[in-house]
Amino acid sequence: MPPSIHPVDLIVALREKHLTPAIVFLTSRRACDEAMQAFDHSHIVLPPVRQEAIAAVLEKVIAQYPSIAEHPLIPIVQRIGVAAHHAGHLPSWKIAVEELMRHGCLDAVFATTTLAAGVDFPARTVIITQSSIRKSRDFMDLTIGEVQQIAGRAGRRGKDLVGFAIVTPSPYIDLTVLTKGFTGHPEAINSQFVISYPMVLNLLKAHPLDQIQPILAKSFAQFQLNQRAEVLERKLDDLRVQMDPFGPRVCTDWITEWQTFDQVRRQKSHRVPIKKFESPEIAARFHFLTPGRIVAFGRSRGVVLRQYRSKGQKSPMITALRQGGGITESPAATVTEISDRILDCVDAPIYPWCTPESVEDLLHNLDELPTKLPELPILVPKDNEPIPDAIVQTLGDFACPACPSRAACQSDYPLASKLRQEQHRHVKSIQALRTSLWHRFQEKIDVLQQFGYLTPASRLTDDGEWARLIRIDHSLLITELLRADAFNGADPAMLAAVMSSISNDDDRPGSFPRVSSGLASLLGQVRKLAASLSPHEEPPLLRADIAAVTERWIGDPTLTWIGLCKSTSMAEGDIYRLLARTLEFLSQLHTLKGTHPGLADTASRAIATLRRGVLEELP
Amino acid sequence: MTTEELEQLLAQQPIALLHRLARGRVQRHFRAGKRRLIEVLLRHSAENRAGFESDLMILIGEKPARPAPAPAPLHAPTARKPKPSGAPRRPGQRPAEPESQELGIPLSTWLEGLGVPSSSQPFIPDAWQEAAIAKLRESDVVVSVPTGSGKTYVAVEAARRAIAENRTVIYTSPLKALSNTKYTEFSKIFGADQVGILTGDRRENGQAPLLIMTTEILRNLFYDAGGGEIDVRLDTLGLVILDESQYIADPERGVVWEETIIFCPSQAKLLLLSASIGNPHDIADWLTSIRQTPCHLIKHSTRTVPLRAGYLHPNGKLSPLFRTAGIPHGHPSHLHPEAKRLFEQYEDETQPSGRRR
Repeated sequence: MPPSIHPVDLIVALREKHLTPAIVFLTSRRACDEAMQAFDHSHIVLPPVRQEAIAAVLEKVIAQYPSIAEHPLIPIVQRIGVAAHHAGHLPSWKIAVEELMRHGCLDAVFATTTLAAGVDFPARTVIITQSSIRKSRDFMDLTIGEVQQIAGRAGRRGKDLVGFAIVTPSPYIDLTVLTKGFTGHPEAINSQFVISYPMVLNLLKAHPLDQIQPILAKSFAQFQLNQRAEVLERKLDDLRVQMDPFGPRVCTDWITEWQTFDQVRRQKSHRVPIKKFESPEIAARFHFLTPGRIVAFGRSRGVVLRQYRSKGQKSPMITALRQGGGITESPAATVTEISDRILDCVDAPIYPWCTPESVEDLLHNLDELPTKLPELPILVPKDNEPIPDAIVQTLGDFACPACPSRAACQSDYPLASKLRQEQHRHVKSIQALRTSLWHRFQEKIDVLQQFGYLTPASRLTDDGEWARLIRIDHSLLITELLRADAFNGADPAMLAAVMSSISNDDDRPGSFPRVSSGLASLLGQVRKLAASLSPHEEPPLLRADIAAVTERWIGDPTLTWIGLCKSTSMAEGDIYRLLARTLEFLSQLHTLKGTHPGLADTASRAIATLRRGVLEELP
Repeated sequence: MTTEELEQLLAQQPIALLHRLARGRVQRHFRAGKRRLIEVLLRHSAENRAGFESDLMILIGEKPARPAPAPAPLHAPTARKPKPSGAPRRPGQRPAEPESQELGIPLSTWLEGLGVPSSSQPFIPDAWQEAAIAKLRESDVVVSVPTGSGKTYVAVEAARRAIAENRTVIYTSPLKALSNTKYTEFSKIFGADQVGILTGDRRENGQAPLLIMTTEILRNLFYDAGGGEIDVRLDTLGLVILDESQYIADPERGVVWEETIIFCPSQAKLLLLSASIGNPHDIADWLTSIRQTPCHLIKHSTRTVPLRAGYLHPNGKLSPLFRTAGIPHGHPSHLHPEAKRLFEQYEDETQPSGRRR
């Protein structure tokens, strides 16, 4: 794999050309951290004036967020004027870096592209080292919009006359993706309308069922579906024009008429009926007369070398190697017995239809065979008579053979029927485009009725009334858990732990603290329920190790943030995000004060314990 | 040769040569930076120092023997004619393409304009910013402009006017982090008592005229209002600003933006701020079709601060990426000959043989 520029060299080069401050976008958090480590032995040191400026800005941030006072990266950032900024960091640290960047104290920031949309600090220069980013477990090429979003960070209004976006190659870079991204027009965006259970419940709370369809019709999704439908309608109009010459003739629907007539005509028996001479028995047996098959012709035996149909009468024939070495062509009907034994035989395209060596082998094997061979049981279908006769007789009922427009029908039929099929297809897809959202909505209604959140008349039941307040992912699982009283007697730590394992969708591996046995068994129940709900809702990951992190934080109020971080290999920023998301889930449970007072109380106690240390000082 | 001498010699070599030297000796050498690479190379050479040194000498000796590319680029960036450096490379294999004969601009021109604008200029809003604010008086507005054009100015001015009319303003952003940044920023502009924030777990100054929240919270507010739990703030709601509204295309969360826009009360004006997207007129047409007043689209693609694209080779050589100083829109193949040559060289050196794409 190819090398890329060394981070130290990069910064030195940028400084030389006065291209700082810069944001260096790297592939992963690890790449950012490694880039920072690369400075460990570098001789880059900022002049004391700038070091002091950094210290001054940091001091202000620390006053607001004391947790970063001891941040291990502070000395190096101060020494070299370069920092990393990615999702693995605590928000307070990210704020500090952003603040430093805004004050122009830093020369460069190493960041991940996933953050391009989320950071709000421009720079003079943006360094792009990749042409693809990781999206849901897969690397995808950057879209034009993304390239421009990244490059757009370059050039600060009022601080720069020009901005620079500089590409530097690294493993797997594809320059054309980037050049197209720079020069292209951004992609059109499409609606991603998903109908969720809370949405259905909340809509039905506020509006009767018959008003729902007009509301859905107001969505951008329907707007775009309509756009597509309009395109199809225009096509449909074109088709109608093209169909003009194929209007009603002698009969109004001549296309269908001709289609049936044509089908029937094709099914009419041939002038030389082929199958007439073939008894169903022979037809059935013919399939088994494959090369290598041992057959008997009366008393003598033979090996089938090939099967074919005779040229004139199309009667089933086989070529067989007979005992004694003769190769004969005989009608399949002369075979008296088909044994359940196949000899190896190498096919050849010309006489004797197999390789000379295998002829030798076959003959030898044929002589070696025992006198009695098991017979192949062949099922002969009864009543194999072809039906068409009945239809053939009705051929006389069709007017087509004598019709004056017969010639026109015959010549126009292929085109006309193709156009008509297309028409039907378009009509169907237009219908689907116009109603798909409503159908999706109805599907959700069905599920909610089945679970008893909605009455058969699609009004909210008592359960529906409170369930609509749970407006988060996996809402069905959570409401079902509440209905099953799964959290009865669960302490705040346990409740928060389960919520965090439901909220977490990160499958990054790592080492984590152990789960308590109570939590493990509760999670087992949750998993079982989630699996049973899987036809209606994608089950969450429900990782026990993630739950254990939350359980520790809430279960032990004396645990410090550092202590928590030490107990797991999760990055600080990830732990913070996990707990913040758990907090959100818990505060949703807290809104159920009216109907689930016990649970709301447990949730609020969990929230109170959760919000301490780093989580308290931060928004 | 002593270890120290060898180390110095290695340090003088370009990193590409070191990587070639490391090939077959060091695993995952591409991961390492120069210093680390030298360290690892020295460690590995300990067993077979002689072989290592001879390989190094061969590689160093090979360098001048190869045709022009190595020395030429040194002058190329400043030279008036970059052509000779592009053309002589392996003349037999790669006939000069018509493109590469066209001259790219020299690096010095590309770097021109680098620097800080004189700060005496007062801030003058762009025409589109004025237009957006003016149009917002009578209709909804969709703004689609490149990143960093000054969308925030529009948001601030629009909010200022709405607050002056005693109306509530709601500003939403897709990320909590962005909400917090904006909270700090707006508090400085409007004063701390004028700005409130509501996120999943933070609630401060909830009755302030300018409320900052994540889009999900606003959606929930609208749902609660629809369900009968009327929030007083919604009565006086005069303006809803949806920042980063290109999030409507987010596979997981896009639906929240649609819900918010659908349920936005009709007396409130909508201001959608978005980065450059391909079909802003679709969004505007959609809003026109569902809202009472026709929506106005503000769209432009020129950046306030012009952008230039460059190419930095791993050996530290900088070159413009395109032949022109600015971005040649619609012409992705107008690569600067120097950048093109350097990238081809990079690919040649780094692609394992037999695995060319």
